[in-house]
Amino acid sequence: MAPNLKSPGVLHSVPDIERALAHLWAGAAAHRGEGERHVAARSSVLNLVVVAGRRETAEHCAATIEATAGRHPSRSLILSALDMEGRPGLDATIGTVSVATEEGTTQSGAETVYVTVHGPTSNHLASIIVPLLVHDLPVALWWPREPQFDTHRADRLLPIADRLIVDGSSWSGDGLDRLAAMARVTQGRRLFVADFALLRQARWREALASFYDLPDLRPHLRAVRSITVEFAAPEEDDPSGLTNIVRPVYHVAWLASRLGMNVVAPMRRLPDGSRVATLRQGDHAVAVQWRPVCSDLGEGSTARVEIVSRLRGAELVGDVTAGDCTVEVALHDKGRERVRRTYQAPRLGEVDLLERALEDSVSDLVAGDALAMAGRLIAAEPTPRGAVERRRSRDHD
Amino acid sequence: MSPARVPVPEPPARTARQLREATSSALRRRRADDLNPLRRGLRLERVPDPCSFVLFGATGDLAHRKVMPAIYQLWRTNLLPAEFSLVAVARRPYTDEAFVAEVRASVEAHSRVQPIDEDAWAELAKRITYQQLDFGGDAGFDRLSKRLDELDAERGTAGNRLFYLATQPSQVTEIVHQLGRVGLDHELRGAGWRRVVVEKPFGRDYESARRLNHELAKVFRESQVYRIDHYLGKETVRNLLVFRFGNGIFEPVWNRSYVDHVQITVAESLGVESRGAFYEETGASRDILQNHLLQLMTLVAMEPPSSFHADALRDQKLQVLRAITTPDIEHVRHDVVRGQYGSGWVEGVAAAGYREEPEVDPESETETYVAGRFTIDDWRWSGVPFYLRAGKRLPKRATEIAIQFKEVPLPLFRDSNGDPAPNVLAMRIQPDEGIMLRFAAKVPGLGLDVRTVNMDFDYGTSFAVDSPDAYETLILDALLGDASLFTRADEVEAAWSVVTPIIEGWATMLAPRFPNYAAGTFGPEAADELMQRDGRRWRRI
Repeated sequence: MAPNLKSPGVLHSVPDIERALAHLWAGAAAHRGEGERHVAARSSVLNLVVVAGRRETAEHCAATIEATAGRHPSRSLILSALDMEGRPGLDATIGTVSVATEEGTTQSGAETVYVTVHGPTSNHLASIIVPLLVHDLPVALWWPREPQFDTHRADRLLPIADRLIVDGSSWSGDGLDRLAAMARVTQGRRLFVADFALLRQARWREALASFYDLPDLRPHLRAVRSITVEFAAPEEDDPSGLTNIVRPVYHVAWLASRLGMNVVAPMRRLPDGSRVATLRQGDHAVAVQWRPVCSDLGEGSTARVEIVSRLRGAELVGDVTAGDCTVEVALHDKGRERVRRTYQAPRLGEVDLLERALEDSVSDLVAGDALAMAGRLIAAEPTPRGAVERRRSRDHD
Repeated sequence: MSPARVPVPEPPARTARQLREATSSALRRRRADDLNPLRRGLRLERVPDPCSFVLFGATGDLAHRKVMPAIYQLWRTNLLPAEFSLVAVARRPYTDEAFVAEVRASVEAHSRVQPIDEDAWAELAKRITYQQLDFGGDAGFDRLSKRLDELDAERGTAGNRLFYLATQPSQVTEIVHQLGRVGLDHELRGAGWRRVVVEKPFGRDYESARRLNHELAKVFRESQVYRIDHYLGKETVRNLLVFRFGNGIFEPVWNRSYVDHVQITVAESLGVESRGAFYEETGASRDILQNHLLQLMTLVAMEPPSSFHADALRDQKLQVLRAITTPDIEHVRHDVVRGQYGSGWVEGVAAAGYREEPEVDPESETETYVAGRFTIDDWRWSGVPFYLRAGKRLPKRATEIAIQFKEVPLPLFRDSNGDPAPNVLAMRIQPDEGIMLRFAAKVPGLGLDVRTVNMDFDYGTSFAVDSPDAYETLILDALLGDASLFTRADEVEAAWSVVTPIIEGWATMLAPRFPNYAAGTFGPEAADELMQRDGRRWRRI
């Protein structure tokens, strides 16, 4: 296996970075150690740009990217900002990664450019990113922590990207303002959004979909009467309203977009901490409720989803609950238990999430529909004051 | 007096547009009911229906090494429905518990993902039952039929049944006949589907293949029969389809105007291992040429299908098989070579000759190597030879398809150092799956020296991930009712109509002096001579 290589020292300009990259790969190709494989050709499949903000975030992202290098050999540009008030400039280092499969038969190369920017340069990240992109390969923009969608930086960065990767479940407050902003700024762009918050729910989506794999139950998909999502909150009534509920909102948005529903009354918050909305499917209304519950699950995690449908007087109740590594599905048809199954469905780690975020294609369209629907669902939801203040303090990230 | 008949007015004739709209609206409704919209964007847009998987030969090697690990893997990754039951059928007496324990040990030994997920295994194990059954007796099949009905009621398997015949080839007809006798083939409206998976070999010559197909057809419709050749389930073979039909740039040169010849190689470094008795009955022609090599040839030579539906794909493959020139005795004599390995050294280890292998006749004339020159009589390939070779105990394991293009019409660089070799596009199927393009490049410097260089693409350098096992792919496809990667009856017969004349021709000819190549070499000299006569040589693999 070829070794991991590093650039000789700290680089201070984009041309220096370009020269160092060429030099590193020439060195890798020439390397022929005993028992090691010769890197005959380098295959890149994408550019991955990380707007990391803080250095510790950059290091965390770099570790995640390294773990995905086998599946997604890419040029990764990880940008972090230091002393915003200092002199303009950048410091960069480069590393390459080679990975073998478990069988040891194949290997893959990836390169990571770490760039730390200083002073006003941090307002012009696009001018550093664009020259360093590998030609004609898709660009994924991973914006961890708290992306700022309504800013000059977003205006400059989003047009570079083909794919935006975020984690809505990590946003401060209830996350809904930011979710609405993301739905707004991505609308009409050729930009796929991969939100870890939605990707995390793949196990839920498979479980919910499984209700209707039985052909005789499929007509119920056109007769949904209510959707209830219970989410974990510090207290049963979530008095602060600051629990991040991006994931529970995505549940409903995904179902509504797949089942051709429209928003009649957007989400509103009730005094007991729950939220409600009304959708329409065909000629009937669909009552939606998000309910906080005390749970061992992490704050904002979905604890249970229930879908009730009624067709020609027959009621079907589908119920999904999740544990750490399993999802349990129960389906009652006319009051009688029809299906009960426990799926082995471990939670996805960040490496899995990033891999999925980088490769999904058909689900991009599904995610786009879900995001647009989420935007419509939360259109009128006011953000609690506390969340706004907390976000302001973090926006300098 | 009878009352006057009142004329009944004819219903107003619907316009063509109304009919179209009614039809398309009905189709839309049906599609909406057929598909689960919540599956859009998930790993599988369709999942297998609830079903019973009936595994004949459940105590055999194939079931333990391949089928059960694949079933476990599909279950572990939630690709099987909750309403799933596996009925293991074999002659030996077992309790359910004893069988499950034995299968568990096999899955542990052969699963590609380790360690075993205890929870997933426990759930799957609950769905496994064992049924002892004498394939020749009626009583056992009557019991099986009743048991499957019970499972439908107990586990909601909805009358859907897949019969997987992992048995000796000689038992296939008997089992199929019995399934028909007890009505397990019947697909009544709303009563579930019935499918049968048959393992290769599909006969041992054209006549026996026809007989086998005939016997299968007495009970099952062709659309219910899934002939499994695990080679077609390999990720790499499927990649070949993507390479050809997912890239537009190769199509214009993929024909007789640009291609000089094609070489397809299936080389194994292993000998017959513990399969001496089996191999004595088959040889390289039946074991590799009739299926793997000809299947690869069809994938290279076929016209683009109109879709990736099973029959669209298989129709095009069939066209190729039918267009291969049927070998006559002269062709067999001159253009087909057989060989058998003697002792030698492979990968630094001494290897016994074929005749010294266990369960092999010391005077055996079974071929362990076959090479041949074939042509396809159609507009695309007329005059382009396809050289096929397969052998055991060759120096390395490699499967490769190489398209050699014609030389440039005017060799401008003849006088330069290093005359450029013709372009070659090579697709490595295994190991180190990848694609290589050979072309000429100028050597840097003041002169005009030309050198041949390889532009090498390794799938591994782009995707360092392990692929699913072929059995996982194929079993899931069979459960989903997708027959694209399974061989149709007419394909099997067409392939045998190419190979049978070779086997029959050899039977009338004096056999070469076997062994005629040493283990660890690239086959008999006659194979090299076959190429030299055409002014070509085998690629070094």
